Amino acid sequence: MKFLSTLRSFIPALFHRAQIEHEMEEELRSHILNRADDLERSGIPRAEAERRARIEFGAFERRKEECRESVGVRLIETLVQDLRFGLRVLRKSPGFTTVAVLTLALGIGANTAIFSLIDTVMLRFLPVQKPHELMDVLRLSPGSRNAKPTSGFTYALWEGFRENQDIFPSVYAWSPGRFNLSQGGAVRYVNGIFTSGSYFNTLGVRPAMGRLFGPADDQRGCPSLAVLSYGFWQEHFAGAPSAIGATLSLNNHPFQVIGVSSSGFYGMEVGSKFDVAVPVCSAAIFDSKKSRLDTRDWWWLRMGGRVKPGISPEQVDARLKVLSPAVWGGAVPQDWEPQWQQNFRTRLLLSAPAAAGVSELREQFSRPLMVLMAIVGLVLLIASANLASLMLARAASRTKEIAVRKALGASRGRLVRQLLTECLLVSLLGAVLGMFFARWGAALLVRFISTRQNAVFLDLAPDLRVLGFTAAIAVFTAILFGVLPALRSTRVSLTAAMKGGQAESSEDRSHTRFSSGKWIVASQIACSLVLLVISGLFLHSLIKLVTLDLGFDRSNVLLVNANAFAASIPPAARPSAFDEMENRLRSLPGVVSVSRSSRVPVSLGEWSQPVEVDTPNPPKGEDATVYLTFITPGYFQTMRTPLLAGRNVAATDTETSPKVAVVNESFARKFFPNMDPVGKSFRRVEGRAGVLPTAIQIVGLVKDSKYESVRETIAPQTFYPLTQIPTGDNYEIRSEFFEVRTGSLPSVLVPSVQNTIAQVNKGITLEFSSLTEHVDDSLVQERLLATLSAFFGALALLLAMIGLYGAISYGVGQRRSEFGVRLAMGAPPLSILRLVMRDVAVMMLGGVVAGVAISLGAVRLVHKLLFGLTSYDPIAILGAIFVLSAVAVVAGYLPARRAMRVDPMIALRYE
Amino acid sequence: VNEQAQLLPGTLDLLILKAVSLGPLHGYGVLLRIQQISQGALLIEQGALYPALFRLVRQGLLKAAWGTSENNRRAKFYELSPAGRRRLREEAAGWNRLVTAMGSVLAAEPEEV
Repeated sequence: MKFLSTLRSFIPALFHRAQIEHEMEEELRSHILNRADDLERSGIPRAEAERRARIEFGAFERRKEECRESVGVRLIETLVQDLRFGLRVLRKSPGFTTVAVLTLALGIGANTAIFSLIDTVMLRFLPVQKPHELMDVLRLSPGSRNAKPTSGFTYALWEGFRENQDIFPSVYAWSPGRFNLSQGGAVRYVNGIFTSGSYFNTLGVRPAMGRLFGPADDQRGCPSLAVLSYGFWQEHFAGAPSAIGATLSLNNHPFQVIGVSSSGFYGMEVGSKFDVAVPVCSAAIFDSKKSRLDTRDWWWLRMGGRVKPGISPEQVDARLKVLSPAVWGGAVPQDWEPQWQQNFRTRLLLSAPAAAGVSELREQFSRPLMVLMAIVGLVLLIASANLASLMLARAASRTKEIAVRKALGASRGRLVRQLLTECLLVSLLGAVLGMFFARWGAALLVRFISTRQNAVFLDLAPDLRVLGFTAAIAVFTAILFGVLPALRSTRVSLTAAMKGGQAESSEDRSHTRFSSGKWIVASQIACSLVLLVISGLFLHSLIKLVTLDLGFDRSNVLLVNANAFAASIPPAARPSAFDEMENRLRSLPGVVSVSRSSRVPVSLGEWSQPVEVDTPNPPKGEDATVYLTFITPGYFQTMRTPLLAGRNVAATDTETSPKVAVVNESFARKFFPNMDPVGKSFRRVEGRAGVLPTAIQIVGLVKDSKYESVRETIAPQTFYPLTQIPTGDNYEIRSEFFEVRTGSLPSVLVPSVQNTIAQVNKGITLEFSSLTEHVDDSLVQERLLATLSAFFGALALLLAMIGLYGAISYGVGQRRSEFGVRLAMGAPPLSILRLVMRDVAVMMLGGVVAGVAISLGAVRLVHKLLFGLTSYDPIAILGAIFVLSAVAVVAGYLPARRAMRVDPMIALRYE
Repeated sequence: VNEQAQLLPGTLDLLILKAVSLGPLHGYGVLLRIQQISQGALLIEQGALYPALFRLVRQGLLKAAWGTSENNRRAKFYELSPAGRRRLREEAAGWNRLVTAMGSVLAAEPEEV
């Protein structure tokens, strides 16, 4: 009831403020005039009567203020007043304002940047119709050792799923791909997707121009059509309508453009955007003899569907389970061994929500982003602690102002509200500036995690969630650094404050304020120690990875991926053409050695097969899987992987000569423990019905080297002559890598290598990179964490030391006269130094003890992101303590030295 | 000797309601009527009247309308709303109970205890 009446007068109060103000004024004036009339009637002259009436009425403005409060205008009005006053106060101390706003802008900006990445990578739904209805379909192999749902499907499975399923009103399939736009020479890749005819329709994506794919584009032998993304259309065709009907060359095949998808749709994969979409069925023309439409163990498609509203995920899963035997049973690879076929039939379909799209980026960076979020959160905490100290110190200098305002009748609550409004103002200014920093910082981070192979694209436009987050932390921060100082500074004794500037230095008060400052500094030290330990761990782990012996020498190796598929070389003539290129490259100036291989280390794509050996109790099944690489004789020399025993593959190993292999130490240890592997033989299991295992003799042993990633534990590897690479329906090598070891920077040789290869064949497409880049790109997550945590760790240290310096300076200032007296009484200056440094030591000790305790808990959270370290890495922890202590001693010594040099005369006179 | 009594806190509202219940009044008129009824025994600070009037309007106990005063000046006139009338009845009863109780306590003689 009271609330309603408040509201009833409050709302007109908002809108008719001027009118209310006017009526109030008029009513009070009319009172005074009425009174004056009466006084005049009793015989007092008019002027005197009015004067008396005014005096009787009392303080006019104050009464008006009270009336305003009664009406309820006050709330809004005081807010406006407070804001206006706050702005004035901030303008009056530009130094403080700048420091505070910048500190907060950095802190809030860093938090917003990381959060906006978390938002785009992990939280945001796809910009499609009703994204929450989308489900991803996954597969599960129940028997397999690490039974985890995975997403790849074969074309036969997609067809079976599409025909048999009855739980989704519509389903779609898609696959990411990369298309080369250039016809020979250096490659120019665009991001492609293969989509089923139902893809755009099911997602609810509309054409911006032309048409998108439909069911008619979903049949084998479909024409080569392409849909462009809006961005690519703008970029490549400058948004011209004539793009419809134009022809694009994708991997040397002409595709006709039929439409452009709506802007804002980047595909299902968060972290990348598609440029060109082509129908799934058109994939066949990119493949040779046996296309991916017919190969029943080519797991290239992702599938999904839109569920009817009201159907639960459990219902979907239950139905998929029932459908599984029919779908899998109809897509068995006929050339597999019977046992493998049997396992194939027992596989299952499951579902997972796909509202936020799919993303490798999400899997890779979820944890690092969370860690970074915690790190920037701590930095903001330290920054607010600094501001709190600053506000406390400022409060001391504003004692007189507060006292005057209190004496004039301001209530404490009103003053606190005013001071908090000031803080909020600073915080909001910081947040606005921080939004700009964040925009820039997030873009920088995206660039940081982008590699040459994988340019990350994220739509970083801030949404409501990001704005809400920023506003929330701005308010939270303001409360954090504003409340304590506001409460403290309004607790002023009027008489003491009015008596004189420094009169408030009554002993216990200054003592308590100093000790609350101490608490703040100690907690800052604790927080920054945690950050230093974490960044120390990440740095140490990165150093371990970077300096790790990979088994090959990554520096100065130019890698050339040469693709002969588009070139008009018949497959039979390819080996000799590549041999020719290799020979010509070898004689280029600046080239140390050259080799070719089917694959380069530390890159995607693996080739593994089980092997059999004739020793007692040999490893079996998945345990007997080894990696395969096919190489030319120059390979180990170029990679600088030492040959430990036996011989290298040689030019004399040809297609028809006995099959040979070089194995690594892990292979030898696993399959021939305590034996000399050279001269022994093994069989490679091809896993196909009717295909006998290939018998191979081991001719050499090489040092262990990394295959897929720097972080892996080295697995058994086998190397074979490139001439003995299996050929047939299932293996067709179209691209080979050239490894070119150079005397200087590899990139310098790019033009001459390109020319040399073009002399042999102009149609071969080339992609250049370097082995160093491959290794570096594979460590992008580790580098991100190490760099950012080191940056924020340093920032935190700086902030904490400013806090420490400030607190000690303040304390020294407060105790000036005490030091003066001590010195005058004959205390040696060093004892004063000791007195101050004791404070430093107390804060340090408290901070370090708390910090180490928190760190020990925190490292458990980052443990999974570390490499080759125990969680309690003494180097990181002791290093952090050492750095922190060293800097703290300096930050404390500077003001302490001032204390030592206090001139007793001046200090005492001041008092 | 000061013949005028200080107002107890919270009694101003009651006085205003009573004064207005006898007929619509403007602010200055309220003041005059209270002085007249109490024969000048109650001291009311002139300026303090208005915040109370505004508050009572906001609580819906008084209604206000502009009119012309006996001195021929534009003035805002207040009268009781039904809610105000009810409130006056309750508060007056409460006040009387308090006065009776206080009176009998203060009049107590030793032998009565």
